[in-house]
Amino acid sequence: MNNYPEVVAKIAKDYLERVKSQLRLVPVREQNEFLREIESHLYEAYQQTPGEDDVARILAVLRNLGEPAEVVSDRLAGTMVRSGTKRNVPLYVVGGILIALFGIPLGFGGLGVLVGILAGLASMLVAFYATAGSILLVGALFMLLGLTRTLLPHIFEKLVVLGLIQFDGPTADFLDHFSPSEQGLFMILFASLMVASGFGMLRLGKYVLRGLRFLFSLLFDRMRRFAQLLRRTLHPENREAQRYHERQPADGQSAPG
Amino acid sequence: MEYSDEGRDRRITQLRKGILELAVMGVLYHERHYGYSLVRVLCERGSISLKEGTIYPILARLDRDGLVGSEWVESDQGPPRKYYALTASGRRLFDELSQDFDSLVSLVHRKWKAPEQPELVGKKLAVRKG
Repeated sequence: MNNYPEVVAKIAKDYLERVKSQLRLVPVREQNEFLREIESHLYEAYQQTPGEDDVARILAVLRNLGEPAEVVSDRLAGTMVRSGTKRNVPLYVVGGILIALFGIPLGFGGLGVLVGILAGLASMLVAFYATAGSILLVGALFMLLGLTRTLLPHIFEKLVVLGLIQFDGPTADFLDHFSPSEQGLFMILFASLMVASGFGMLRLGKYVLRGLRFLFSLLFDRMRRFAQLLRRTLHPENREAQRYHERQPADGQSAPG
Repeated sequence: MEYSDEGRDRRITQLRKGILELAVMGVLYHERHYGYSLVRVLCERGSISLKEGTIYPILARLDRDGLVGSEWVESDQGPPRKYYALTASGRRLFDELSQDFDSLVSLVHRKWKAPEQPELVGKKLAVRKG
């Protein structure tokens, strides 16, 4: 890196890794830009630091620069605020539409409908993960079959004779056109596709899960507020008491001293 | 009672932290600098010892608030450098802040005339309890 002696490059790389780990919540583009900037700083400072001992020079540079946490402190705080806002806005919109459609106009009924929708969504999520798991399992089994057909064809044929492996209909007709090793290759290709699809579904499920978790928290928040509203309506004396307490500090301030 | 070295150092650090952002804006008002050159200028012209990493949170803050602009420039001697310069709004803010700062400095250096003390000798001082 930057024509450093090997040991210096290792120390500098280690420091940059520590900076990077501090920036794990920062968007990748911003992360890379900041790392480039620090890398440039290390190089400039190293060139300007006198001394014969390379290690002592780079250590002096890092000592002057400070701990990674100090270097990234403000960048991290700002990014957390920004990324939080960015992530929540569309989900707030979705939540707002659902509440506006069902929660407010229909009261209890609306909340019931909302709970039903969310329960349905949760069931879909469970079904989604179950499907992803099944696809992965099928992929793994086909991979095993394909490898057996390619590497150990005699064992595969014995298993077919014993009835443990059965290919029927058009699949069998299609595979019969090819040699055992080609059949194995087809099975491995199919298995790879299945495994890739399964992992893709699992990755996608992370985002679905995140959205659903947000909708649930929004629902519970609305239910809590609704319960508070109901309590105040049923017990108006509590509301009066609360208003009285809220007025107290203001009256105290305006009273002549 | 004598002040402690630790207390003095802490106050010096706080004082510098508060002013450093203004100093950075001052340097970037007329010249553009990359992180390391900015540190050098502050240390050499300002004669202060500075933890170099503290400059980056300040630059990030100024950048976020749109007070500085930045651009990457290739260097003959090594990796590219990220140069910073004050934006127009940064300059306007610096003008305002430096006026406030001047007022504070003149307040600190003002030769206060000691107020006349009332004659206390021979009088009984009331001690208020509670």
